Amino acid sequence: MKKQGLTALWMLLPAVLTISIVAFFPLFKTFYDSFYSFSLRPGSIRQFVGFTNYERLSRDPRFIYALKNTVFFTVVSVFFETVLGTLMALVVHQKFALRGLVRAAMLIPWAIPTAISSQMWRWMFHDQFGIMTKICEVLGIIQPGTPILGRPGLAMWAIIFVDVWKTTPFMAILILAGLQIIPKELYEAARIDGANAFQRFFRVTLPLITPTIGVALIFRTLDALRVFDVVYVMTRGAVGTETLAVYNRHVLMDRAFTGNWFGYGSAISVAIFILISIFAFMYIKSLKLKFD
Amino acid sequence: MRKFHMILAMVLTVVMAFSVKITMTSGGVGKELEILKKQLEMFYQIYPDIEVEIIPMPDSSTERHDLYVACLAAHQTDPDVFMLDVIWSAEFAPFLEDLTKDYDYFDLDEFLAGTVKSVTVEGKIVAIPWFTDAGLLYYRKDLLKKYGYNHPPETWDELVEMAMKISKAEGINGFVWQGAKYEGLVCDFTEYLWSFGGDILDDEGNVVIDRGNAAVKALQFMVDMIYKYRISPEGVTTYMEEDARRAFQSGTAVFMRNWPYAWSLLNGADSPVKGKVGVVPLPAGPSGKRAATLGGWNLGINKYSSPKEKEAAKKLIKFLTSYHQQLYKVNSGQNPTRELVYKDSRLKEVAPFMATLFDVFINALPRPRVANYSEVSDIIQRYVHAALTKQMDAKTAIEKLANELRWILEE
Repeated sequence: MKKQGLTALWMLLPAVLTISIVAFFPLFKTFYDSFYSFSLRPGSIRQFVGFTNYERLSRDPRFIYALKNTVFFTVVSVFFETVLGTLMALVVHQKFALRGLVRAAMLIPWAIPTAISSQMWRWMFHDQFGIMTKICEVLGIIQPGTPILGRPGLAMWAIIFVDVWKTTPFMAILILAGLQIIPKELYEAARIDGANAFQRFFRVTLPLITPTIGVALIFRTLDALRVFDVVYVMTRGAVGTETLAVYNRHVLMDRAFTGNWFGYGSAISVAIFILISIFAFMYIKSLKLKFD
Repeated sequence: MRKFHMILAMVLTVVMAFSVKITMTSGGVGKELEILKKQLEMFYQIYPDIEVEIIPMPDSSTERHDLYVACLAAHQTDPDVFMLDVIWSAEFAPFLEDLTKDYDYFDLDEFLAGTVKSVTVEGKIVAIPWFTDAGLLYYRKDLLKKYGYNHPPETWDELVEMAMKISKAEGINGFVWQGAKYEGLVCDFTEYLWSFGGDILDDEGNVVIDRGNAAVKALQFMVDMIYKYRISPEGVTTYMEEDARRAFQSGTAVFMRNWPYAWSLLNGADSPVKGKVGVVPLPAGPSGKRAATLGGWNLGINKYSSPKEKEAAKKLIKFLTSYHQQLYKVNSGQNPTRELVYKDSRLKEVAPFMATLFDVFINALPRPRVANYSEVSDIIQRYVHAALTKQMDAKTAIEKLANELRWILEE
């Protein structure tokens, strides 16, 4: 028994080491940096400033604004992704011809690198040549000649639309996995008891895929809270679409060698981390997920 | 046979030992990359022992900036040769090889004074000017003639009048420019600002943008072109250089503000407006002054490269900035930085406007020369764009812009 435990320890070691290097070290370093004031310029002197960076964050209107945008983006896009993803999963869970092909094709939006698909969508939202602009005009959503990506309000919805297009398939695949492990006998029993399709969905399917949806929700929320590429490519944070990660790019990149902003940028990163933790905690509590 | 192999191996080893491989970054706008590759072929004929690998970069200057920050902060030894925007000299100077003692090796005396100034940081030369840029006005010769205008606009008011008349009658846009929130917006904005008699910083580096009302008027004029005169589509607030060029090239605009690179593309074989385009200096503002923003790119050497790579890099830069190569580079619409090239008759054949607009290029004005330019630019971009998208009025935008500039520059 003792020997077995030792073997297990040895086998865990590579994984633990890898996680430490790629996850714990950068995380720790970011926390550490957030208590200092310095830049990446050669010869810059590190100065310990305690919680000053955090105190400044709480008074930074641009940070507060980006925080609101990020939460709005996350809540709306993850909501639509979950609902549409569940529907999509239910559809491809049914047996029909070419099901394998449909399941594979469905993943295409998710497989295209975001930077590329966002550029593609930027062109489709172009005010003169863009097909999305045309479609929105025909549907009466916008006046002819409205630049969707140049209008406060509209631009954020366009970005949410692109994110939903891109990540709904990912949600669907995760939820599909959850659907597949539900034993068929449960449905048979429900039928015998006279449950209709709605009852079967709300009383059997939904409770049994809740843990899966919970995990999928956490994945998506974490991603959405640090959204960068789709926003940066489509609007560069203009017209009220700046998110925390886009603001952080500005602090870390544009101010990397000037001023002493790197600690401040690290504090923004930590703030994103805390925000993610809050969301994860809420999900785990409200959905009563168990991770053991 | 075995002997032959051995000799071959030995020769290869010797060649490998003496040859050096360097990397350089390059943009790929228009014909830029194609021309550079041809130039490298010529370079290999003179220096067969140097191999150059090109790292193509994104079109947008901001993304190139971020790429460099990541490389430089990590003290990477690659790329060896950096293609640097004129606005970055001060910011990246600590990471660039000091070329002050090579002033004569690169014949910097023969270069346009403005371009040499753009690579000088605290008295040191940190890069060599490769090509220069200045904002220009492109216009449709055929349309102006059709509506009875025998000369391109001399003032902004004249441009508005012509654009309103022609765009209404033709059912197309009047004037396209760069209004998206990015570096290009700063270039466009400063041109209006200067031609309306304002400036961002004075010679001592004090913020003077809110002194007098030139800035408010200039910004209001930009807003009015979109919403009042309606000569620019609202979508101009999402346009970068290539968006504007595509709109103009497809024949849906009368005027366009853009850089010299657009010329060769507008006159390409597949261009619908080929031969119908004229190019002139940007119109004058109420102050009677015309102004063009100085753009352009310089070549600098990575401080962390090995001495051998630095030597090869110097040879490459000297070659690319030589008289003949600058003349050749005109083919991709990139303006020489050597004064004498403008007087060469071969330049006039390829790009006649470069010779006639020589004054524009030597008088182009630089954006603020400060080490934290990226921050300054971000502030200008945010407030100018907010005014263009009607999130605040021009007066408030300039006030807030000035306050933030003061805050960041006094930090």
